Amino acid sequence: MPDAEEHLGRGRQAVTKGMEAPPRAALPHVKSMVLRFAVIATWLALLSPGFAQERIQVVTTTTDLRSLTEAVGGDRIAAVNLVPASMDAEDYQPKPQDVLRLKNAHMLVRVGLDYDLWIDRLLVQAGKREIARGGPGYVDASFAIAALELRGMSVGPGDGHAHGSGNPHYWLDPKNAEIITGTILEALARIDPANAARYEANRLAFLARLRVKLVEWEEKLAPLKSTPIVAYHNSWPYFARRFRLDFAGFIETKPGVPPSPAHLAGIVKTMRERGVRIVVREPHEPDRDVAFVASKAGASVVILAASVGALPEASDYISLFDVNVEALKSAAAR
Amino acid sequence: MIDPLMFLWPAFLVALCLVGIHAYFGILVLARKVIFVDLALAQIAALGATVAFMLGHPAQSFATYGYSLAFTLLAAVLLAFTRAWGTRVPQEALIGVIYVVAAAAAILLIERAPQGAEHLKQILTGNILTSGLNEVAGIVPLYAAIGLLHWLLRRQMSGTGALFWEFVFYASFGVVVTSSVAIAGVLLVFSFLIVPAAIGVMFASSLARQIVIGWIVGTITSAAGLAASFAFDLPTGAAMVCGFGGALAIAGLLYPFLRGNRQHALRVAIATVRWGFAVILAGSAIQLAAAPRADQPLLDMMEVAAPSLRALYFTRAEQTTFVEASDYAERYHMEAERLNSLEKRNRTEGVAFDDVSVARISSFLKSYGEMRKGEQFVMGEVRARARERVRWSVSLGLLALALASAPIRWRRLWTPGMGQARS
Ligand SMILES: [Zn+2]
Repeated sequence: MPDAEEHLGRGRQAVTKGMEAPPRAALPHVKSMVLRFAVIATWLALLSPGFAQERIQVVTTTTDLRSLTEAVGGDRIAAVNLVPASMDAEDYQPKPQDVLRLKNAHMLVRVGLDYDLWIDRLLVQAGKREIARGGPGYVDASFAIAALELRGMSVGPGDGHAHGSGNPHYWLDPKNAEIITGTILEALARIDPANAARYEANRLAFLARLRVKLVEWEEKLAPLKSTPIVAYHNSWPYFARRFRLDFAGFIETKPGVPPSPAHLAGIVKTMRERGVRIVVREPHEPDRDVAFVASKAGASVVILAASVGALPEASDYISLFDVNVEALKSAAAR
Repeated sequence: MIDPLMFLWPAFLVALCLVGIHAYFGILVLARKVIFVDLALAQIAALGATVAFMLGHPAQSFATYGYSLAFTLLAAVLLAFTRAWGTRVPQEALIGVIYVVAAAAAILLIERAPQGAEHLKQILTGNILTSGLNEVAGIVPLYAAIGLLHWLLRRQMSGTGALFWEFVFYASFGVVVTSSVAIAGVLLVFSFLIVPAAIGVMFASSLARQIVIGWIVGTITSAAGLAASFAFDLPTGAAMVCGFGGALAIAGLLYPFLRGNRQHALRVAIATVRWGFAVILAGSAIQLAAAPRADQPLLDMMEVAAPSLRALYFTRAEQTTFVEASDYAERYHMEAERLNSLEKRNRTEGVAFDDVSVARISSFLKSYGEMRKGEQFVMGEVRARARERVRWSVSLGLLALALASAPIRWRRLWTPGMGQARS
């Protein structure tokens, strides 16, 4: 119960502040008893409805979803992400603390599309009906998203994803943020109907800001239209569609498997034929393999963040795009 | 076609350098019975680099290398001292403990600074395919110096000598392993170390001959592994490791022919093969009789190799259903691929689809996937029913084949007294 603890702490602070003003009590143990009563009284007052507003505890799997949830929830929610910003969410190893975080949560937001499958087992362990699949606090952010590169159960032509339920990196299209925040808004309004209007206003303000930014990003990336780019992992189809970029190939064909010589040769050949001058790498991806391919084809390596926090400057959803757009723009100008 | 060779020859040069030094060290490692010492030393070096990284030194700096080296030397002291333990607790136990503790400590450190994870991974999982002349230029002088040192100290190194010489052995080996693991990865370095040395020790008794055999085997196997990785489109490191495994298996099979009674060896080999066949056939027979709907590895493999085999036990109606379902599944697959490539082209070409059209494509793709899954279910069901129908006759047939293949002397079993009379 971190809420209770938090409130207890707050109560204690208030009480000690109050006790500082009067002169020292003659009997220390009387003082401590008074203190204890005061603490309990304050705690009860804080717990009673209407007096204090409890913040809604939200757990998200990734930093991107946390940023979007915070954009809707504002200061009414306290969100934590399970996967650290600089780690690959597709092979995350959960920690015992994660179960505790889920037990304390009122709402869970996940990416879905087989991106964060490990959360299913954590949810079973946490055993909390409220945020389990089908519960009021369970949010699959991929709901109503138009997934790209769906391949059923078939093995695709090496597009870097083991499962066929579509490419899971859909948050990299800023327009999809409208759908994601819509799903989040629905869940928040379900859990906390009293503040539904506030959440809606937050979301609209965020989307308005995003729309202005989108125009700016599209303008900045316009010179890169149809410029062929090679990436290490296939994280970018949604980004590419929105900004009309051409990702011509990927170094990694299956998650976690190093590329074969024939595949690398094919990539270098494509790069030479099509004049690819940009190779994209995410910070957690092996720089040696990327630098090798780039040097063989005379291209330069650009580090992009596919998630909020993967680069220090990409601190929230909007700055994530700011950083990537700037990096691509300056690489193209080189 | 020539392009992949452009990648492969630098990798081959690197492999030659690694084989050169590791075949030698492998023989010493085998003699000392410290097989997994390279894993422990590599992990210790990685731990040192992680500590340096945590303290704020950049990944490829002098300081990071210094930390790695210091940790390796510390481990070398520990290993040299514990040689004396050997009588009560095997030294391998200590090596295992060093390995797991170093690995776990690195994980705990990285827990504090997640951006170190990739850094640690790069120290331990090199990729020989993307290594090149830079790496060769780095390791050749180092290995030459260490080789020279060992040649000068050859008398102290070959036996298990005084504490100080043990320390020199582990320290120099640690330096070699730290550099090679970063280039080729833990799995491949272990193969370079153990397999050529083991084959050398198997077929020769003097150190010089063992090393030469190790070098020849290592060179040929590396070339074969690289060629297989190119020809069959496989990840290079993994293909080479499996190649080394194959080389050891071949050497093990040849050993009795080259070193023992050839006729006896041949007889044993034939009997082993026949028993192998018998066990596989009998196992398949039992699997089919007990669970005809489950996977049947032998039958599945045969049907993949020769699809017409299905005609032997499918009814005509079943065959039609099976072929139709397979055609439909293929058609849905093609349609989905067509839509996928249409969407991909449209990202940059022509007028961009609006979001509604993309949503429609996405839902079409989903339906095609479902429909394809349905057809595949039909195929599986048809096959399972056909197999259920023929389970007894086919498994009896397989059992008969198994008995025929097993090298049992039937006549001796049936003629009473014969066995005793012979013995
Ligand atoms: Zn991915």
